[in-house]
Amino acid sequence: MHRTDGNTAEIEFLYRKHGPALLLFAQAVTGERNRAQDAVHQVFLKLIEKGSLSRAVDKKAYLFACVRNAALNEGKLQNRNTPLDPDSAWFSPPDRDHAAEQNLRRALDALPNDQRQVIVLHIWGELTFSQISDLLHLSSNTVASRYRYALAKLRDSMFAKENSCANSWR
Amino acid sequence: MPTLGDERFEVYLKQFRPLVPEPLPTVGLGHQARRTFVLWAWITAAAAILVIGGLTLHIRSNRARIIERVGNSERFMDDRPLTIRTANVLLAKAPSFKAMVDDMAFRSQTIPVPKGKRSAIAVLGKEKIKL
Repeated sequence: MHRTDGNTAEIEFLYRKHGPALLLFAQAVTGERNRAQDAVHQVFLKLIEKGSLSRAVDKKAYLFACVRNAALNEGKLQNRNTPLDPDSAWFSPPDRDHAAEQNLRRALDALPNDQRQVIVLHIWGELTFSQISDLLHLSSNTVASRYRYALAKLRDSMFAKENSCANSWR
Repeated sequence: MPTLGDERFEVYLKQFRPLVPEPLPTVGLGHQARRTFVLWAWITAAAAILVIGGLTLHIRSNRARIIERVGNSERFMDDRPLTIRTANVLLAKAPSFKAMVDDMAFRSQTIPVPKGKRSAIAVLGKEKIKL
């Protein structure tokens, strides 16, 4: 075992820094918070055990790739087409607007899986299109077009829902 | 509700912060390891204090015993003139050969003269010898 305190400290720092976005991404892949949490923990525990993160050039992109693989492997064992869990929150909403949080979650749920991953990686993971293209093994153009489609759908879905809610009150 | 442009919509989405995951199990282990380390440090420090205290007591009691022995031998030496026999007795009682030699070297050389007799050295010392 090549575990050192320095490596562990660095991995714990990365967990604190990128953990929320990684968990969200794993949720976008698996559709379930517990499985997503397991996938993220699995990745970080392996990294602490092996202490091999120092070899990765782009550590953030590497972590997202590891979490995606772990989440997909987890998904292979169970039902892969599980719908997103509607009960567990994904976000801490601005101004404690939990209705908006639920609205966003439903809109994300309505997106195709590949578009949802791209949106989550770019908006909350703060990865560039180039990093996402490497991660998902797609061309940058494909990633960019998926992102544009997803963003438009998300906006339509969220504001259509809000407008319909507003109309239903009238 | 007005439709937001792409950039403003992205800013709006980023206001939703992803939830923080549960802490890593190893972080808990790290705290436990730190606590164990502190406990072991206290135990080691306590053991070191005990050992040092024990050694100090041992050394002090040894020194007192040696001083007592030296005192006894000095009393013995003061009483009798230095002969092979007394040297043997001293050697048997002294803690080391060096201690015995030191005792003999620093012992008082005044040997009491029996009553009715005079010391030849004292008589010769008083006489004025002309050469």
